[in-house]
Amino acid sequence: MSLRVASRPSKYLCKSCRFDLSRARKRKYGTSSITSNPQDIYDVVTVGGGPVGLALLTALKSSPATSHLRCALIETQTLPKQKSWDLPPDQYSNRASSITPTNQSFLESIGAWKHLDLRRVQPYDEMQVGDAGNDASIQFDWKAEAVRYNAPLRTVATMVENANLTRALLRRLEELDAEDCLLSSSSVASIGNGIDDPEGLNLSNWPVISLNSAGTAESSSTRQIAARLLIGADGINSPVRTFAGISTNGWDYNRHGVVATLKLEPQPDSPFSSSSSDPNSALEDFLSDDTQTTSTSPSQATNENITPSNRATAYQRFLPSLGGPIAILPLPNNHASLVWSTTPQIASTLKSLSPSALASTINAALRLNEVDIKYMLSLPSSSDNEHDHESELTWRLQHTPQPPPARAPPMITAVQPHTPASFPLRLRNASSYISPRLALAGDAAHTIHPLAGQGLNLGLGDAEALARCILGSVACGADVGDAMRLEGYSAERYGRAVEMGGGVDVLNGVYQMGGEGSLSGDGVVGGLLGRMRGLGMWVVGNVPGVKEGIMRRAG
Amino acid sequence: MNPLRHDFIQSCLRSASSASPNSNDAQNPEATRKYKYLDVGCGGGIFASSAARLPNTVSVTAIDPTSEVIKYLNCAIEELDSHIEGQGKESFDFVTVFEVVEHIDKPAAFLRQALAHLKPGGWLIGSTIARHPMSYLTTKIVAEAPWPIGVVPPGTHDWNKYVNPSEVREWFAHENHELHTRNVETSDNEGRIEAGDKYGVVRVEGCIYLPLLGWKWAGGTAEYGNFFFGVQKLH
Repeated sequence: MSLRVASRPSKYLCKSCRFDLSRARKRKYGTSSITSNPQDIYDVVTVGGGPVGLALLTALKSSPATSHLRCALIETQTLPKQKSWDLPPDQYSNRASSITPTNQSFLESIGAWKHLDLRRVQPYDEMQVGDAGNDASIQFDWKAEAVRYNAPLRTVATMVENANLTRALLRRLEELDAEDCLLSSSSVASIGNGIDDPEGLNLSNWPVISLNSAGTAESSSTRQIAARLLIGADGINSPVRTFAGISTNGWDYNRHGVVATLKLEPQPDSPFSSSSSDPNSALEDFLSDDTQTTSTSPSQATNENITPSNRATAYQRFLPSLGGPIAILPLPNNHASLVWSTTPQIASTLKSLSPSALASTINAALRLNEVDIKYMLSLPSSSDNEHDHESELTWRLQHTPQPPPARAPPMITAVQPHTPASFPLRLRNASSYISPRLALAGDAAHTIHPLAGQGLNLGLGDAEALARCILGSVACGADVGDAMRLEGYSAERYGRAVEMGGGVDVLNGVYQMGGEGSLSGDGVVGGLLGRMRGLGMWVVGNVPGVKEGIMRRAG
Repeated sequence: MNPLRHDFIQSCLRSASSASPNSNDAQNPEATRKYKYLDVGCGGGIFASSAARLPNTVSVTAIDPTSEVIKYLNCAIEELDSHIEGQGKESFDFVTVFEVVEHIDKPAAFLRQALAHLKPGGWLIGSTIARHPMSYLTTKIVAEAPWPIGVVPPGTHDWNKYVNPSEVREWFAHENHELHTRNVETSDNEGRIEAGDKYGVVRVEGCIYLPLLGWKWAGGTAEYGNFFFGVQKLH
């Protein structure tokens, strides 16, 4: 059945609808020349098979209200290979992300979480944040709430290897019998608009994607597909965004994020595990903020019945004069993931170090003051004496005051071979996340500084919101590509991304002021800025509600 | 307003299935039922095309007497029979009359025409405006004001033709009563007496337009402004 309406915009179309149609018709990417409408028409085409694109497809397919939509997902890499990813339990991928509880709920609701190898994920309950420029520190956790309500400690976030997440989503898609939506090993050659076929359909404002499918060398093929709604989940240099003519704002940070997988010294069993029978005596020591142990009388011992059970702790230390923070994020079995935001010069130095020298340098970055760290970085990376770095570290540690055991970062014992790598840090935000019959999600829409671990979380939030927007359209019989229906998605996500991206950008700027040798200068000004930051950190940590408010907003 | 229309249709269906769990619906579960729509006064086809996109729609027949807005089935309700031959009387699951009744000179006769096309168990769903000083303010003074305040051309609405929810309820009660007495009086119909009313309880729900936010449900405002009504033809 077809309901034919006037095929040319008549005088009964309001001006803004006519503008939208003509704007849609001008879009082009690549050398696209479409002379006839493709036979292959899809409801939702997603370009990009990373966690965000896969999560969106899984959300659509796992909901009975949207599972009937004809979907396709285009990805240049070989997805079946990612479904069979496997690493032994003592090795971890260097690309791991911190998934917030909100996104964990989302992944559970679409049935993907259960397909994770849960032995390889690490929930953590506390984040220790310090500043090398002063004595300040802050702990992000839900301990106060756990004690107040006599409840188990709430997770702050869960570390998941990106490959584990991708594999889980692919397994869920297999379970949903939706693997035929995956156009793997395919790249987008060009995107254009369809034509107004007088004997057929008017697809003149529908995106038409020309795909190159890499088969064997002889049998690569090209095909064209039309999309009622085209979604760009295709990363920071999104071709879909280029097709839509959407510009981006932002800048390069002139910094690199150095990642690696680390092996840690085993921590002593936490005295906070719920099975311990008499926690009170050890409790004071570990919760104390003083560097020297204070003796407490029995009457001062805590009278709470349940003590929080801390499964793992994430550490972040700001290094104001070294270009950014260093973060150690926990993984199971005494492993951890390193994310060190630093200058390109330091990044290439780090990558050139031997694994043991790198381990010592990381330990230095977590404990020594910045002058000492700089010295360590200046040591020749290849030297005759393998233990130069290690002995420097040992000697200097003796002369540096250390934080109390409760807040001490772990000792790195080794760096997993072949894991050190780096990527440039940039801030980008698309000027719009939507266009007629088009939406952007994940890094295609926004890229932010990794210091709060929120990049992938924003992307997964986009996927959840976009799936919900599509579901709302389907429920009221609307065209899923209708620009007005997409406005709801943009309204929900745009402000959120700007808030988060802008927020971490400001933090990044603030935490590079006033370190020794930084642009703000040494001495009085630097010291003053350091003190102000310390005060700020104290306010966040001690004024009731501020810390919880931040954790809620980020979680 | 279109999402509200679908909302209202869903809530009418839910009330029917909860009220009569042992009816045909039990054999034909809600999820797989397919529906035929008749949209009377469809205008540009906003509701008709959205109904056509729903997964459980068999067909949508949309009619409008204004020739400029539609090429397909340019006809009034009285002429519909000649256009849909072969379908028979009482062939639609839904007859929808959105923003129509307030433009009709003789709404009773119009509704009887429309109801004649409903299957037993089918629903008449419509939306219109109540006759109240408040609706005069919003639909005549504000909505028909000059640009930039107004949203419809002046003269679109005639306040005297507005229909109140109470009038809709009374009319259906009257119809039920009429049909009762007629059945009882007519003795040459093989003695058949239809037990129970022909039309079910009239569901009414008010809605309101909020600038910047759009159309929202506003229970209790049905008597003052825009409202939806739905009534099921029981047999």
